[in-house]
Amino acid sequence: MSDQSHARPLQIPRPPASQVRNRYALLGGAGLSVVLLVVVLITMNLPTWDRVMLGLRRTLPPLWRGFTNPDFELFPLAFNAMMETFYMAVIGTLLGGVLAFALSFLAARNLLGGTARAMPGKALLVAVRTFPEILLAIIFVAAAGPGPTAGIMAMGIHSIGFLGKIFSDVIEGIDPGPLEAINAAGGNQIQVFFFAVVPQVLPEFASNLLYRFEINLRAATILGLVGAGGIGGPLLQRLSFRRWDEISMILIVIIGFIIVVDAISSRVRRQLV
Amino acid sequence: MAPDRPPQPPVSAGAVAAVPTPPLAGRLKGMLALLIVGAIVVLAYRQTSFDLEALFTGAADFWRFFGRLVPPFSEVGSDWGAYLPELVGPLIETLQIAYVGTFFGTLLAMPLIFLASANTANDPVTMWIARTLLTVLRSIPDLLWAAILVPILVVGPLPGALALTLFSIGILAKLGSETVESADPGPLEALRAAGAGRTATIVYAVVPQVAATMVSYILYVFEINVRASVIIGLVGAGGIGFTLQTRLNFFDYTGVGLIIVVIFAVVLIIDSISVWARSKLI
Repeated sequence: MSDQSHARPLQIPRPPASQVRNRYALLGGAGLSVVLLVVVLITMNLPTWDRVMLGLRRTLPPLWRGFTNPDFELFPLAFNAMMETFYMAVIGTLLGGVLAFALSFLAARNLLGGTARAMPGKALLVAVRTFPEILLAIIFVAAAGPGPTAGIMAMGIHSIGFLGKIFSDVIEGIDPGPLEAINAAGGNQIQVFFFAVVPQVLPEFASNLLYRFEINLRAATILGLVGAGGIGGPLLQRLSFRRWDEISMILIVIIGFIIVVDAISSRVRRQLV
Repeated sequence: MAPDRPPQPPVSAGAVAAVPTPPLAGRLKGMLALLIVGAIVVLAYRQTSFDLEALFTGAADFWRFFGRLVPPFSEVGSDWGAYLPELVGPLIETLQIAYVGTFFGTLLAMPLIFLASANTANDPVTMWIARTLLTVLRSIPDLLWAAILVPILVVGPLPGALALTLFSIGILAKLGSETVESADPGPLEALRAAGAGRTATIVYAVVPQVAATMVSYILYVFEINVRASVIIGLVGAGGIGFTLQTRLNFFDYTGVGLIIVVIFAVVLIIDSISVWARSKLI
């Protein structure tokens, strides 16, 4: 040991070839993305600098005045609208949960006996997940008229995609032991389902339902922008009149409400799983 | 039955019934939680006056509406073949907005990730400030950012790109700081022990550990941004959503139908490419 170190002074080993390759790949990717950014910025239809500055000079002073003096008289209205948003998210999530619960068994490989049989269900879930929620809301508003029902339907349908995927993943991951035990003890399929499948998946289902509720609460705040109920409607009116003092009050309510609900929900989720 | 098995004591009827019951406190807690959830649901159902029946009675109207979106069943609106080329421009703008938003979102999120992670933070105060900033950024949805920014900046892709930038920072920094915090502390301690500064520690001990995951998250955020960029036009922030809003105002339902189909196809394609690329990464 000491002989060697005299012969060859301490040397930092060269990084392995794979690491060097990764580093070059990362740098190359970063370089390419910068080139692409330049191309995009040149071809993009951006307004001129003067036009932007003119707009900023005109809007920023009233905006600053409004945001530093929120209109507290609007608080009851904003809070009630946020409560409606909250209720919409509750029913929307529940609707999505019920529908996803039924669909998830049609997309679970282990219950259907084979990957091929679960494919139609899985494809349907991907399609639902990909379809933007706000487009669903536009369709439901046009078909059923404006109001919370349209927003709830949009949220419910869109949630199926996410919840159905998670639920079917959970079902595919269950322990087959209890199923076999109840089968061996002479239980029928219905008993197997209620006493072996449901107790295993319930905590995961509940936790993901809550997580989806957090997402839906955020989504519900914007559904009003297309007339589908909730706080987005009153907000959009004030945005088009640029009433910044009222806008800031509504934003405070939205942000505060979401932060509080998130904190409670993530606590409960930690208890569940 | 195996012959060498010792004789079993006779099972009494009482013993069979003695299935263990879960502890009382747990059951009470569960029941209380169910009661609270049930009360909220009932209240919500009444307050929103959600009409489940209307969905069935209104089903005929609903399908008639869908019929109007598709040319053979509808006399009003644009011809799909002629209208499709007009959508190419707005579609490219949509992807441009998503790209610019993802790029600047990533760039701005990078320093925030390390400021908001407990194992790389400067001091508790800046960490708290960074985390609060990220929470606020995330609690405002992308479409809402766009709606706020359109009156401030000029109508067009600029407020859209900025809205997606702000929203991307929130998500990416949250995901990123979770990854950084779960990094193996060994290399960090080794570099600190050897006298490396904060920047050197981050560059040589943390970045190599999290790089692959971060690239995968950036792709994921791009996916989210593509989905958002198709709709932010509804509030005037450019892209194909703006075209959709115009068609809706003109009651051009077949035009609306085609745009919905195109949006769905684009999102599906970008999603599948991104999911495939992410599966290669980790």
